[in-house]
Order: sequence, then C-alpha cells, then structure tokens
Amino acid sequence: MGDRETGVVTLKVNGKEITVREGTLILDAAREAGCHIPTFCYQATLSGVGSCRMCLVEIEGQRKLQPSCVTPVMSGMEVKTESESVISARQAMLEFLLSNHALDCPVCDKGGECELQNMVYTYGPRKGRYAEVKIRHHEKDYVLSPVIVKNSNRCVQCMRCVRVCGEVVGRGVLGAIGRGAHQEETSFLRSYLDCDHDGMCIEVCPVGCFMRRPYRYRARPWDLRGSRTVCPYCATGCRMTIEERDGEVVRSIAREGEGFNDKMLCARGRFGYDILNSGGEERLTTPLIKKNGMFEPVSWEKALSIIREQFTKADPRRLGGIASAALTNEELYLFQRLVREVLGSGNIDSTSRWDAATTGAFIFATGITGGGVSIYDCMEAETVFVVGGQVSEENPVTDYIIRYVSDSSRKSVLVASTRAMKLDTSAELSLRHLPGRLGALFNGLVLTLYEDNQERLEGIKEIGVLKGRTVTDLAAECGVSEADLRALCARLESSGSISMVVGTDLLRFREGISGLRLLGDALRALGKVLKILPVLDRCNQRGAWDMGVHPLFGPDYRKVERAGLGCDGMLDQAMDGAMDALYVVGEDVVNMYPDRTFAEEALSRVGFLVVQDVSLTDTARMAHLVLPGAYPGEKEGTFTNQEGRVQHISRLLEPPGQARVDLEIIEAVGSSIVHGFSDGTPQTVFDEIRREVSMYRDAAFSGGSPDGWLVKKSARRLEGFELIEEKKVSLDADPEHPYFLVTGNHIFLSGSLSRRSGILNELVREAVVEISEEAAGELGVIDGQTVSVSGRGFDATYSVRIRKGTPREVVFIAENFEDKAANRFYKRGDVVPRVKITA
Amino acid sequence: MEKVLLKNVGKPDSHRIDTYLAGGGYEALKKALRMDTEDIIQMVKDSGLMGRGGAGFPTGLKWSFIPKDPTLQKYLCCNADEGEPGTFKDRSIIEHDPHLLLEGMAISCYAIGADTAYIYIRGEFAFGARRLEEAIAEAYQKGYLGKDILGSGFSLNIHVHRGFGAYICGEETALLESIEGCRGQPRKKPPFPALSGLYGKPTVINNVETLACVPTIISRGAEWFASIGPEKSPGPKIFGVSGHVNRPGLYELPMGTPLREIVYEHAGGIRNGRRLKAVIPGGVSAPLLTEEQIDISMDFDTLAHEGSMLGSGGVIVMDDTTCMVKAAYIINRFFSHESCGKCTPCREGTTWMTSILKRLEYGEGRPGDVELLEGLCGNIFGRTFCPLGDGAVMALRGALRNFRQEFVYHAENGRCMV
Ligand SMILES: Cc1cc2nc3c(=O)[nH]c(=O)nc-3n(C[C@H](O)[C@H](O)[C@H](O)COP(=O)(O)O)c2cc1C
Ligand code: SF4
Ligand code: SF4
Ligand code: SF4
Ligand code: FES
Repeated sequence: MGDRETGVVTLKVNGKEITVREGTLILDAAREAGCHIPTFCYQATLSGVGSCRMCLVEIEGQRKLQPSCVTPVMSGMEVKTESESVISARQAMLEFLLSNHALDCPVCDKGGECELQNMVYTYGPRKGRYAEVKIRHHEKDYVLSPVIVKNSNRCVQCMRCVRVCGEVVGRGVLGAIGRGAHQEETSFLRSYLDCDHDGMCIEVCPVGCFMRRPYRYRARPWDLRGSRTVCPYCATGCRMTIEERDGEVVRSIAREGEGFNDKMLCARGRFGYDILNSGGEERLTTPLIKKNGMFEPVSWEKALSIIREQFTKADPRRLGGIASAALTNEELYLFQRLVREVLGSGNIDSTSRWDAATTGAFIFATGITGGGVSIYDCMEAETVFVVGGQVSEENPVTDYIIRYVSDSSRKSVLVASTRAMKLDTSAELSLRHLPGRLGALFNGLVLTLYEDNQERLEGIKEIGVLKGRTVTDLAAECGVSEADLRALCARLESSGSISMVVGTDLLRFREGISGLRLLGDALRALGKVLKILPVLDRCNQRGAWDMGVHPLFGPDYRKVERAGLGCDGMLDQAMDGAMDALYVVGEDVVNMYPDRTFAEEALSRVGFLVVQDVSLTDTARMAHLVLPGAYPGEKEGTFTNQEGRVQHISRLLEPPGQARVDLEIIEAVGSSIVHGFSDGTPQTVFDEIRREVSMYRDAAFSGGSPDGWLVKKSARRLEGFELIEEKKVSLDADPEHPYFLVTGNHIFLSGSLSRRSGILNELVREAVVEISEEAAGELGVIDGQTVSVSGRGFDATYSVRIRKGTPREVVFIAENFEDKAANRFYKRGDVVPRVKITA
Repeated sequence: MEKVLLKNVGKPDSHRIDTYLAGGGYEALKKALRMDTEDIIQMVKDSGLMGRGGAGFPTGLKWSFIPKDPTLQKYLCCNADEGEPGTFKDRSIIEHDPHLLLEGMAISCYAIGADTAYIYIRGEFAFGARRLEEAIAEAYQKGYLGKDILGSGFSLNIHVHRGFGAYICGEETALLESIEGCRGQPRKKPPFPALSGLYGKPTVINNVETLACVPTIISRGAEWFASIGPEKSPGPKIFGVSGHVNRPGLYELPMGTPLREIVYEHAGGIRNGRRLKAVIPGGVSAPLLTEEQIDISMDFDTLAHEGSMLGSGGVIVMDDTTCMVKAAYIINRFFSHESCGKCTPCREGTTWMTSILKRLEYGEGRPGDVELLEGLCGNIFGRTFCPLGDGAVMALRGALRNFRQEFVYHAENGRCMV
C-alpha cells in the first residue's frame, strides 16, 4: 500500500475513492468526499471524546460501527456513512437523546438554531417511543453568572461546555456532577461562577442549556436581523455578528466558519454589544457648542462653518489631529489626508498613550511593514514565546488560540511577563521580570546566545553594546534568576522555528525595543525561522499605522518630508499656549494620557478644541465644539487587526438623532474647506487606499474569504527607526512607596469604550487593585477588602484582588475606571509609578 | 486438585507474612529476581494464563506490549475493584492471603520494569484495604518491597488507592482516570494503556486473581500451570457460587470444570431440592444458561462459543421460584445505576430499559413492552463506548431469549406466572 512514505492515505467513502493526509479523521475524510456525518460531541478545536455516538460509521471488515470523529483513516479502508446499520444507529441515538430531553422547544432560546432540533429533523426517527417519566435535574433555570443562565434538562451530555472551558478558555470551572442519566454539566455544585464570563460554554452548547442571561426570552432567532462585524474591543479582531430586534441589539455571536476565530469571543465581544443601545443621555445625538462654560446644541451647518473658520485661520504648525485607533481604515486614511492635505499640518497621532518615536521603533522591530502574519501560522512554530504583555487579559481570544493550539499539538510555550497570567498553566516555562526591564531580559538572552555561538553572531555589530555586561548582571537587572533566563534561552536555541507574541509593554514602558530587535537578529543569524505577532489593544491600531496616522510617516509607512508632532508634542506645545486648534476623534486623551493633570491642563490651553465622539467623554467635556460620531455597528468600513488581517464591517443600525458616521463627518469637515475633498463613501475611500498603500493593493473591501485578507509586504522600507535611544526606566527604591504600579486593560473592559456597556459593567462592579499573595500577607488584607492606594500626588480606594504568582512588588490597576483613573498616578515621564497601599 | 490460589485461606493468621513465608512464600520472587525479565514474560505467555478480570486477555502478551525503553516510567495497576455482582473471589485473596497478591505484583513489576504499582480497591472493601496496608508494611519491613529488593537492585513501591463506589471504575481506563483524581469514566482507546496509561505512561492493569497466579507459574513452571484444565485457557480458577444452592461459596477448581459439577457437587445442589431454572456463569454481564445448557466446560472459549462468557467466574444460581422479569429488572437497574453517563446509548438506553422493566415487574406493563425492550437492546448493543452498556444488553437478552413468555405474561396480565 506504499502510502507510508508519502504521508497520504487512500480510502473509499461510500464507494468513492479519496486520498487524504495520514492521521485524518474518518469524519473529515468523509466530509472531504462530500459525505456529511452528523456529530454532537465533536468540535474541531476540542479534544476528541467519541462519546455521543452520533457519528458512527460502518467500516468494511469491522464487526462494530466505529466513531468517525476519533478514528483516523487507514489505507484501503472502506467506509460507509449511509448504510442501513449506520442510519439505524443515528436514529437510535436521537431517540435516546430525546428520551430525557425537556422538549420545551417553544420557549427555548435555542429553538430555530438548535443542533438537536436540526438533527432530529434531518436524521431522526419520525416517531418517539419513549413513554416513561423523564429525569429532571432541576425545575427552574438557574443563574450561573451575571451573563449565564442554565437549564440542564435540555442537555445532550456532549461535554463541549466542560472541554471548551478547560481547553480553550483555560479556566476549567465547569465539570459534571452526578452519574449516568443524572450526570449534569455545571459549575461546582451549581455555585455562582467566578470566571472569565466569556460565554464560550454558551456558544458551544448545541442545545439550549447554557444561555445568555441578557438575551433569554428576548427573541427567536428568525426575528433577528444581523450584520457581520468585528469586535471593537481589542486588536485580536474577532469576527462576529451583531443582531437586533426592533432596533435594539440583543446579542452578538461568533459562528464556526465565519471568521478565523470560529466560535471564540471573550466577555467583551460576546456581551459588550449593548453599548449600541446606550442611547439616552449618555449618547451624543447632536453637535454641541460651548457657551459660557455650558454646552448648547448647534446645527451641523453652523458647527462646520465654525470649524472651517477656526481651522483655516490657524497656523498649520499650531494645529493638529488625534484620531483613535478604533476608527475604520477609511476614516483614518481620510483623517490623515484632512490633516496633511487640507490643514497642511504634520501633527497627527493615533494614540495618546505612547510616544511617536517609540511606536515607530516598535513597528520596525516587530516587522509590521513586512506584511500580515496569521496567528495560526505563528502557532506552527516549535516554540511560542509570549512576552511583553498580559495577553490573557488584554487579548483574551489570542490567549485562547495560543492555549488550544499549543495544548493539542504539544507545542512549547514560553512566557515572560510582569504579572501572573492565565497562560502560565499552558507554558513549559513561565517567568516574571520587573516592569520596564524587558531590555535587560532580551539582552540577557542575546548575550547567552552569543556565549554559545560567538562565531555565528560575530556579524551582528550591535552585540557590541553588550560588551562588558554579563548574563548574571542582566538577569539581576530584570529580576529573573540566571538559571531561568538560561533555561528560556536554551529552549529558544533548541527550536528550529520560533514565534514571538509581543505585547504593548514595550510601548508602555518605552524600552526593550532595541533588545527585541537584537534578539530577532540573533535568532535569525542562528538560522531560526522567526515570526513575530504584535499583540495590540485598540482594534484598528495596526490599520491606523498602515494608514499613516502618525507624525513620522505617512500611508504605507512613506517617509514624511517634515516630521510633525505626536500627541506628546502637541500637548507640550499646547502647554506653551502654541496650539491654535486640535481635532480629536474618538480618543479620550484625558483618561488615557499617562498624566491626567498634565493632559487636562494642556487641553485647556488649546485655542480651539473639537472633539468628535459617541458620548461626552472627559476629553469632550473640555472641547469648544463637540461632534456626535458613531459606533462600529453603525458604520461600514474595514479594520486591520494585529495580524494584519483586513476585515469588513457592515452596518446594522443608523446613528441616533443627528449623530453621523465619522467618515462622513471627516469628509464634511474636509469638503467645507476644500471643495471636492472626497465623496466620503467607504468603498471609494477604500479604493483610494488600495492605490496609495501598497500593502492593501490586492485587498477586497467586502466579500472575499471569511477569514479576511492578510496585508502584503510594504513596497517601502520604514526608515529612521533602526536605532532609538532608550532611557533606562528608574526602579530606584522608594521606601515611602514600595510597590510598582502597572496598568493596562481589565479583562472585561477595553479603553473607555466598554465603560458604556451595562452588561460588562455588571461584571466589574468596582475598581480593583490586583496585588500579590506576598503583598497581601504583608498588608494583612484579604480578597475583596477595600484598601487605599496612594502615589505621589493621587490616592483612591480600591477593592483588593489577590493574584497568585505575581511578584511581591508589582500591583496592577486597570485603566478603565474613569472615576479612579489609573493615569492620575502618573507624573509626566513616569513609566513605572510607585505607590503605597494601606489597609 | 491441589489448591494454588486459596491454599493459605483458612490457615490461622493466613494474612501474616510469617505464615506466608512458612508456606514457601516470596521464594518465587527470589527466583524471579535472578531471571531475565524477558524470560519471565515468556514463561507467563507459555503458561497460557488469561486475565481473570473478565475479558480473558492473555497476560503474558499484555506484558509484552510494554515498551522496553528503561528510561520510561511504567506502572502496574492491580484491579481490585471487584464490582461485578456475583463476584467475590478477589476479596478472599486480599483479606486472607494478601502476600500472594503482593508477591505476584512484585514479580510482574520486575518483569515489565515498573517501580511503582497501585492497588485500586473498591471503597466498600475497607477491611481488605487495611489488610493490604498491613501486609505492605510487613513486606517493606522484610525487604520484599521498597528499595533494592533482596539486593537485586530492583525497587518497588506499592500504594493502595481506594475507590468511591462506582462499578465503572473497574473498567481499566476509568480506573486510571480515578487514580489520577479525575471523574471515573472510560478513556478512548487507542491509545492503549500499555503505551499511554496512568499519567500517560505505559501501564499494565491486571486483576487480583491474575496476579495471584504469577508466583505459582514462576515456582512450578509454565508447563505445570498449562497442564491444568483445557489447553486453550488453562490454570486454576476460583468460582464464586451464590444464589439458590446449598453451599454457596468459593471453589478453586481447574478451569474447564463442568458447570453441572460446580453446581451439584461442589455447591451441594439446589436448595430445598428444587429445580434449577437458570445459571449466570460469570457475573451479571454474562447471559444466563438454562438447565439444559449446564453440561458445559467452564472456560473462556467454550462459554463464548455458547453465547455466554466466563467473565469473572461469579456463578449465580436461580431455582424455579425465581421470576425472570424481577431478576432482569434488578440486574438492569444495576447497570443503569452504574452507567457512567459518558455515552448516549448506555446512559439513556439502560435507563429507559430499567423504567420498562420496573413497570413490568410492578404490574404496569403495556402491550408491546417486550418488543420495545428487544428493540432497545438492538439500539444499544455494539454502539456503546465501553463494554458496560453491552453487558447490560447481553444480560437482558439472555433472559429474554430463554424466558420470553414470562415477560409477555407480565406485560399482558400485570402479574407473575411463577
Ligand atoms: C464495566 C466494567 C467493569 C469491570 N470491572 C472489573 C473489576 O471490577 N475487576 C476487574 O478485575 N476487572 C474489571 N473489568 C475488566 C477490566 O477492564 C480489565 O479488563 C481487567 O482488569 C484486566 O485484567 P486481567 O487482564 O487481569 O483480567 C471491568 C470491565 C468493565 C468493562
Ligand atoms: S464563561 Fe467561560 S470561563 Fe466561565 S464557565 Fe463559561 S466557558 Fe468557563
Ligand atoms: S450543557 Fe450543553 S454543551 Fe454542556 S454537555 Fe450539555 S449539551 Fe453539551
Ligand atoms: S457504555 Fe458508555 S455510559 Fe455506559 S459505562 Fe461505558 S462509557 Fe459509560
Ligand atoms: S461526534 Fe463522534 S462520538 Fe460524538
């Protein structure tokens, strides 16, 4: 049968001969041959269990039917998927599954999209013979979490919920209680869940056991109108469909085969949809103008004419724009054209948190201009090194993909972070380093590699910088034991292919980027196949850079003739009273800039501040003129996620009142100054992008593959960021303030956008400070206790959350609590603020 | 026949190591430790020993599947779950001659290269578990367990792991799950335990009685062992006879002893001189035999050929006062109660069958119930994840095939004809 060497196997399915890869499951082989086999317990992303027996098939020469979902093909096999015995087995299984099933389809949320219903319809016996008393696990539905409600009487015992919670989400808080027909999949003795609330258990449940609590009894699937979009809460860029009934968005859902993330979403994506319903007072529905310190509604014509007047009279050097990395590519592209071509200014940025030179260096070091890199391709590497961020909380679905792929294929995952992370449990080696010390960590790795491979690395001249340093002192500098650092390096050295998953700590702490680049060069020089996946937090951060919303480069990373100012520079200039006008779209500078007091002071000195947003953010409150923009669900366009995947979003709702889509507003502002600036439709702007940005040349606006489209390598070279100077982050002892404060996104929140989701806010009722077990011991505090955190110049109270595995000196406060904004702890230039905690 | 397995049972202090040593105990281990491990495995193969846990798999062959790589961790698990109703043979070895088991385990571990072994004992055997702990302590003290046993360089630790009352944990892979601290449900095979068993390491699982045969094979030789009973499944076998007989109890006899001889000679015949109605030859999963069928040789091959099985050798005798519907109901209730819940046909099917049998037994039968039961048997059989569900069907089919009229009578008349 000679297939052995070739790695392929030839078999027959229902008489049809096909050839598939060795190790393929019969189920997949049959699907390839066009024969559909029904399944319940099988899920491509989960471990195979073979328990529901729906997928039994006949194999010539075998006495018993075999479960095709766990049986690999063998050469010469003759499989029958529609024989009499197979058909009768399917009917039998369905009759069995219905025997103790509640059959309350008329009130069940799942009715109409239920796998059991569909399966019985297609394969089931026409008549049930069960006439005994049914087993009921409980009478009423019971609540498992603010977002999950359960009815076990509908269960088919497929264990998908249990497996997804353990194998994909990595929480493992579900299991089965009871035995036999009394088996019930639920939380520990049905207790209230303290978990990631991502609802993966709901999404994988084939029937109506796990339900979305906010959606229960709200609609039947056939009453819903949906539109395909992309989650706006992080740059993982999960595909999802949001669905409305009578103008109200009632759920968001991710479906298998509709995007690279299949059914995966995190709590934000699955439950944060209600921002779209947050009408009322919160939502801006008309332009506002400030008069005597009070806002008054103003017409669009009036607003635009004021803008034209103010913008045209300002000196271009004293003018600038900041557009959020949560806008679409089309909006961002048009925005930079507006700032550069119409207003004639080079002052432009897409973030208020990071400085321009650092982001440029980051883009260079992570090879973003080299084109898109799919996360699944990254996961093909022998070793995956996760570093520089809290992926598990910042980008939960990135964490899921790393976990399920690595656990099922026994990849080695390495983790280096400042705090304990859920991914630790999937890691072969996981170590903690001091905040702001990634440079030392990377350099330590490079030096270790150099010690072992001097000749091969001699060519990299930057290694010279490390002359005189020792691995011992670099390890000490980053707070890692030398043995751990060497073990990490040994893992890298012994792998032929490595993927680095690099987070935004490099941007936050403004260091480590040269080290990353050096490490990359060293690994490549050693012949490693290296891929780098940047992990970003704002949903279209990569798109914003590709579109050139940056003071140091234009679209397609084109060098700009005269460098402009980034957010930092613009605020500096404003402080000096030299900013005549500033146009801010969607970015809450006051809440995000690392030194709130400074940001407020600087913005208050801007001559004319226009803020365009969906609600009256703290930044909008400071504006002279406020323009009402739109949420992603209200507009069409494209987003580019962290992988460089371009995905189309479509429009489900109209913006409320006089609020308008941001693209139209930007176009209107432009056209009010220069006639014929753009026609402002997403499609035409996208066509323009395709002409101007080489990376997007072949991209399709909509349609195309459900997985989106990965951007190509840029035709240009990003210049000027090869070397940047990095200041060493000071971590000097401060006995008064013994803890290092680290900030970032809360697992349930993203920037300030999600704060307007009622459902998500229910998951985080109070602002939390996360501390280590050791610190809790020192302070004598327990989980949930209120403590006061004080820095140099700010203090507030937070509820304590103890995190096992975080180093003693590190504490974390999420950036999402506006009332106790973490950026108040920062003094300008501070990278790692020091705080004190008192019980 | 000279007793091999129960030879010490009945001696005063039979569970003590001194008694065991006085009867020549641990000599086989001494001999084995001087042998080549390959030779031991070959010897067990030659002896024709077949697993006594129920499936009758050749023991030597099972051991030979264990990878030879000395750097790999390997385990032996002794299956002392003895959960099959009608079976109580392992218990007597555990309680009265624990050292026979320990010696057998030590030799087996040496042969397969395991330095750690577990005895998975059913939770209800609290006394047995204590006896094993005591015996293990004695063996450590005398140097038959622990580091560098008898100066051979071979080390072994044995741990007693108590179950929690689930029949399914006697199934070898569910047993492994249970030892690992997981929910007791069978694992999918392949991979087979010999390659990936306990904690993912190569593992042999053997029944108590199987392991208790090993010292004798080593000391008396494979040929001697193979000469007992039929050629294809030789050796001594403990039959546990229960039910309507005059002398219920354990009888160690050559494999292949006719069932009639066991019932009428060894167990003293049917109580009160009544007539025999049916015999379950090997624990409740084994289809029953009627009076006409009991001139049968009690060995794996012959019983399988007759459509039943030797299973664990638990012989349950029923006289003519027995209502077959009631018997079937009780047996089926056992299976649905013990179904682990993993796979659909067993979980739902056995539960459904139990409901019907219960109604029949309580006089609430309906026309068509018997046909429905037969249909359900067909819908379950051969489609379950592990043999438990099949066992339930085999038991019920046995009763239905031979006593169908009793079921029909129940269904039609709402009462028993016996
Ligand atoms: C449902 C079920 C229950 C079982 N219970 C036991 C048991 O209690 N004791 C036992 O030794 N084997 C039991 N077995 C058989 C074991 O799976 C396994 O075949 C046996 O322990 C192997 O040992 P052996 O080769 O020495 O017979 C059971 C099998 C099944 C399917
Ligand atoms: S929401 Fe997520 S973490 Fe919570 S139980 Fe469901 S799958 Fe597990
Ligand atoms: S609750 Fe849903 S997902 Fe979980 S076992 Fe039951 S049917 Fe399957
Ligand atoms: S047949 Fe299925 S449900 Fe029954 S015990 Fe085996 S695996 Fe569990
Ligand atoms: S889908 Fe194959 S057994 Fe469940």
